[in-house]
Amino acid sequence: MSDPYEILGVERDASEEEISKAYRRLAKKYHPDLNNGDVNSTKKMSELNNAYENIKNGTPYNGNYQQGYNSGYSFSDFQSVKRYISVGQYVQALNILGSMSDKSSQWYYYSAVANAGVGNRITAVNHAQMAVNMDPYNQEYKRILNVLQNGGRTYQQRSQSFGGLEDIGTMCVRFALLNMFCCWCC
Amino acid sequence: MFGYVTANREKLNEEQERYYRACYCGLCRTLGKEHGAKSRITLNYDMTFLVLVLSSVYNVKVVEKGEERCIAHPLSKHDYWYNDITKYAGDMNILLTYFNFLDDWKDDKSLVSLAEAKVYEKEFNQVSKKYPDKAGYVKEKLKELSIIEKKGIMNPDIPGNCFGDILGEIFAYKDDENKDKLREFGKTLGKFIYIMDAVLDFKDDLKKERYNPMIGTPSNTYKDILNILMGDCTEKYESLNIEKDKELIENILYSGVWIKYQIKKAKEKESDNE
Repeated sequence: MSDPYEILGVERDASEEEISKAYRRLAKKYHPDLNNGDVNSTKKMSELNNAYENIKNGTPYNGNYQQGYNSGYSFSDFQSVKRYISVGQYVQALNILGSMSDKSSQWYYYSAVANAGVGNRITAVNHAQMAVNMDPYNQEYKRILNVLQNGGRTYQQRSQSFGGLEDIGTMCVRFALLNMFCCWCC
Repeated sequence: MFGYVTANREKLNEEQERYYRACYCGLCRTLGKEHGAKSRITLNYDMTFLVLVLSSVYNVKVVEKGEERCIAHPLSKHDYWYNDITKYAGDMNILLTYFNFLDDWKDDKSLVSLAEAKVYEKEFNQVSKKYPDKAGYVKEKLKELSIIEKKGIMNPDIPGNCFGDILGEIFAYKDDENKDKLREFGKTLGKFIYIMDAVLDFKDDLKKERYNPMIGTPSNTYKDILNILMGDCTEKYESLNIEKDKELIENILYSGVWIKYQIKKAKEKESDNE
């Protein structure tokens, strides 16, 4: 893992605004959607996101980790996280997780559970997906992801049975008029 | 709030369409009566949804209905209906609109927005006095949202939840046994609206280097995320046990909220094919 400040190209004493601007400038450059879904872009974007998150969280940067290598933090960190989660103290769990700079699949799993606990739905699903991606054979990770996604699937089925828009063209015009002024002209 | 919570007209029958439109017209008429003609322009169908849901939960009877011509439709008469909830929704519309204009002024320094805000200031003050807690809460939350956006927080749940809280407060009409369930419903709907808006603006914001909390999330997950958020919302909806106008409300929740999204996707496809 590299120095997050280096990745963003900012000084250590950069202001919040400078850091945000740097992130957005680089996001525009590397985002896969603006680079035809290039795999290297996706990797770079992921690196960028991690760096930005670490700086925002104030995660201590210690030097040389390899992603997924365990001995950077203690076993007791995860024990504390587990304990806080079991008594519903998700904010405390997230605080400890936020201080851990190396993100293993286990880290993502606990983060997913803790985030779900505080209503951070989107982050929870994203992190559960990360855990599964990093460790596809872990049944518990798969289970959590499933639980988190389930409501969405049920909803989507019902939604699809309503049918989509058939006449997009007319709908566009009508929709524009509807939202401009009360105009249900037909 | 952004005109997302609207019905899929193609799937409504004639009676439902007339009823839905008459609800909107009743809202428009009430706004005009309570706050003057200028306030009618600010209306959109989101508030109509509020009227439908609250009227159903509280089983509120229609106070008045009729036919009229109005400025927008001078040529033929059309139906309208309204009840006590309609008045409330109109007031909430003023609240949100005023803050919206203020927001635009802060963001773009648009003098038009500032002028518009000034125009509604008197009405806003009136509504604020009537609902001091709600006005205060909405103001605080919008402030919070503005700080989140300034700080460039890339976790989409944080601004999403913050905006959700605003709509939750608006749905929590009265301090009674329905309050909590309505608040939860409003929260989840508000979150969906905020994230949907971010999703639809994402590419533009990315290119213009503007704040957008969805930039850090891969775009191929957007549809799933939106479905999950609506899944949460409809779960809360079920707990409201709505009977009256159920079909219309479900049309909106299961189909209507996707209209803007589908239109955008269709346009993107078109421009890709060119």
